Amino acid sequence: MTTAQLDKMRLELRRGVLVLAVLASLKQPHYGYSLRRQLQERGIEIDEGTLYPLIRRLAEQGLLDSEWQQGEGRERRYYQLSELGADLLSQLTDEWQQLNAALSSLLGGATQESN
Amino acid sequence: MDLVQRYIAAVQRELPESKQQEIGRELQANIMDQLDALAEQKGELADIDIVAVLKHMGHPRVVARQFVPPQPLIRLSYMPLYQNTLFMVLGILFLLQVVQTTVSWLSSADMGLVRYLFSLASGFLDDAIFGFACITLGFWAMSRQPPTQSDACETDWQPEHLPKAGPGWQHISVQDIFTDLATYTFLLVVIWYPVWMSADQAESSGFVLSDQTHLLLKWFSPLAVLGIVVSLWQLRQRLWSHRMLMGNIALNLALVAATLTLAASGPLLSADIDQWQGVFELVDLERSAMLTLIIIAMFPLWEAGRDLLRLRKM
Repeated sequence: MTTAQLDKMRLELRRGVLVLAVLASLKQPHYGYSLRRQLQERGIEIDEGTLYPLIRRLAEQGLLDSEWQQGEGRERRYYQLSELGADLLSQLTDEWQQLNAALSSLLGGATQESN
Repeated sequence: MDLVQRYIAAVQRELPESKQQEIGRELQANIMDQLDALAEQKGELADIDIVAVLKHMGHPRVVARQFVPPQPLIRLSYMPLYQNTLFMVLGILFLLQVVQTTVSWLSSADMGLVRYLFSLASGFLDDAIFGFACITLGFWAMSRQPPTQSDACETDWQPEHLPKAGPGWQHISVQDIFTDLATYTFLLVVIWYPVWMSADQAESSGFVLSDQTHLLLKWFSPLAVLGIVVSLWQLRQRLWSHRMLMGNIALNLALVAATLTLAASGPLLSADIDQWQGVFELVDLERSAMLTLIIIAMFPLWEAGRDLLRLRKM
């Protein structure tokens, strides 16, 4: 497999998971940069070009509430999970846990077979 | 900070007007946060540091595209319907153009075959461009509407209503159907056009067939009508069935018989075709016309043989 193919598949694999990670992080209010920092600290690397448009899209879908606030002499747009977003996060979390359990068993089996 | 302003302005230029202010404002806040964080690590920032941050953000056009992804002109779910409509309409326009150009050709004394083909091609091209633009605009307008749930035919379907799985040739292409329709329509126009011509028009037209050939063609015209009916049936079914193959074999064999009968009957051409005088001898023209008809008969003969083989495989 070429690096380009691997990169493409990693991107596809991460795309859906990033939404879950962003929604989970926004249980607390965050502005763009602070959200990115928090995700980085938790081991999720995401570049600005992906994160900022993603937050806006989620807000446009009504999953996030947003508000401009003044802080440190500058305005910032804070995002937080909306009621609709919280419902969705709860459903997606269940879905993720089921998938994760199924995948862990599959991947564990595959690892044993390859050994 | 001038660099940041220039960068944000460049991103805004790539955005729809309604989103320029809001996205610009948010982008500025995000960039300033990054610069602040960098300044905390490095102290006062030089232009080169700002340039590095902006380069890392990406080209303004790419950033704008990430915020507002470009919308395709026609929604992906409409593409099969769009293509089908396009082929259908272009096929119908081609048929109409065949009729129109053939009528002009028959009523004109000085329109040769090359001019006929050129007129057919240019007329069709004009109509096709107009048709293409209208259909594309129509689908573009449909694509601007908010997406709805899948339409009824995509939800109310039963697997048992699907056609039986068969070989690839069983699917009849729209292009083939319209080619047949154009051929039969052309034949009918050529055969029956003189009926509507006035005596003066008939006199000045370049009609070159003999009376006997013309009479035979009139007798054979029900075959062309039958061909149109079969083609329309194919357009509705779009899949070769046992009955359709039988019908097509019968039609093609009848066409072979008609064409060979025509080739065997003489004279094929009108004796007073002045325009050929001095260029070809009438005998040579007769022989060429007969050979042409025999070659033409090979096409339906080949189709009949092909359908016979398909019938045996079904």
